[in-house]
Amino acid sequence: MRRRSSLPVTFLVPTLAILLVLSMVPTLYAIVIALQNRELSSSDYSWVWLSNFIDLFADRRFLNAVWVSVKWEVVTVVATMVVAIGLGVLMFEVASPRLRNVYCLLFIIPVLLPRVSAAFVWKFAYHPLYGIATYPYRLITGGLIFDPLSKPSTALFAVASVDVWQWGLFFAVIVLKLLETLPPQPIEAARLDHASRWQIHAYVTLPMLKAPLISLMFVKMIESLRSFDLIYVMTRGGPGVATETLDMYAFSQGFIESGKVSYASAMAVLMMIATVITFTMLWKRVQA
Amino acid sequence: MRPYRTTPGRIIGKTILAFAGFMAVFPLAWTALNSLKNNVDIITRVPRLVFTPTLDNINYIIGRDSVMTGLYNSIIACGFAVLIGVVLGLPAAYAVARYPNRWAGDIQFFVLSLRFLPPVAVAIPLMVIWLQIGLYDTLPALIVTYSLLTISVIMWLAIPAFQAVPKEIEEAAFVDGYGAYSVFWRIALPVAARSLIGAVAFSFVLVWNEFLIALMLSSSNAKTLPIVASELSQQGMNVPWGILNASVVLLSLPPLLFLGVLSGFLNSVFRQKKT
Repeated sequence: MRRRSSLPVTFLVPTLAILLVLSMVPTLYAIVIALQNRELSSSDYSWVWLSNFIDLFADRRFLNAVWVSVKWEVVTVVATMVVAIGLGVLMFEVASPRLRNVYCLLFIIPVLLPRVSAAFVWKFAYHPLYGIATYPYRLITGGLIFDPLSKPSTALFAVASVDVWQWGLFFAVIVLKLLETLPPQPIEAARLDHASRWQIHAYVTLPMLKAPLISLMFVKMIESLRSFDLIYVMTRGGPGVATETLDMYAFSQGFIESGKVSYASAMAVLMMIATVITFTMLWKRVQA
Repeated sequence: MRPYRTTPGRIIGKTILAFAGFMAVFPLAWTALNSLKNNVDIITRVPRLVFTPTLDNINYIIGRDSVMTGLYNSIIACGFAVLIGVVLGLPAAYAVARYPNRWAGDIQFFVLSLRFLPPVAVAIPLMVIWLQIGLYDTLPALIVTYSLLTISVIMWLAIPAFQAVPKEIEEAAFVDGYGAYSVFWRIALPVAARSLIGAVAFSFVLVWNEFLIALMLSSSNAKTLPIVASELSQQGMNVPWGILNASVVLLSLPPLLFLGVLSGFLNSVFRQKKT
């Protein structure tokens, strides 16, 4: 029997107090700044209340950034899950246990890289003249130039491919591990009923893994919010505003172009409200 | 598992897998190769596999003050943030795992929800705050900010690790007259150590790779390695590519050192689920 002890209080209270302070102070202060008109260049400011928010909704670049962010979120989450499930099932089906271990190790490498490194690696690879990834295209077409990062139609996908390279391969490992934890009986039963291997996965194993796969998708949705490093290094939001996500636009408003810290903060506050509400609702649903 | 016959489908599957495995490491390996090349061997329309290797790029990177300062800042900032994360996060995780209370679910959700906060939303106000206190562009400011990340991540991953420790062992220790604190120190920590090391390594990789907050909270003195590396490229194509490649390799090495630990961590997480 566990006697009453002071342990929960001494272990929990200081940590939670520090976490609360560290998270609430910036969050509340972000709201305060958003209601003012602070600029980087001067220390004077006054309260402007909601005018930053009203300006935002008339700002076409902001609306574009919202749209780019939504596209980014959908493209990276869907592509990651497709790659992860596809490769995970493939490993489960055709790779021997030894080979599985090798693939698992290889597939974890990209996600461990700093995003800045991954972005550079692929920025070199996508270089139209000297890149290794564009080389096959040059070879086939006899030297035509393909520059995925500076074409508005392909830039977002080119950057998203790096995100999927990092997360899709990593999640494939997790999908494999999840498949390995399944009891063999339902799979055997389906085999006796002459189900093909793809039918087994589509109708038996993947539905059995529905809950962990949804949690996995949830994690990816949260991680996809952190697109800044990739975009900052690879395109700076360009060409034009084709890859300018909300955090990129907030950063350039606040720090590169005009130093409008309050305007940037208003954007950050809107992002925060949107993500907290969305993810809290999703989380409750995942848990239920 | 029933053995399958070799079918065309299987061969295609194996080919796709082999290609994916190749894609996982080749771009990075190519970057590492380029860091050993002279510029003439990099700027070629047809990629060159055979070249005279040079250590110039690596020597240049290691000899640069800005890179060394960045490395130092990264090690100090991440090291201390992880240390704070361990000291505050592990006991809290243990308390949540072993002393269930009404708020356990809420605490776990609160810790996870810190991950929803957009980094910009944290970085902008913190920048203003640190400027006002006079700690902007210092390592302590970065360490405090990163602690929010490390504490919450370590807590999040350590709760299941502590829950996986068989309760019987702890109960036996109580019967032997151990107090609550010594059960934590002498039983729970050592038994869960493997998973806990994985959680700590993960939090280190996370802050080592962090970019946006470091970018906003430093201007010259406290720049971490990712910032320094990204700045090298802003000098445009005037910087020899080999040097850039070498800086990417230097930046990527520390997280890769943890590859073994983290893949072991993944394995142990899923073995727990199985039983």
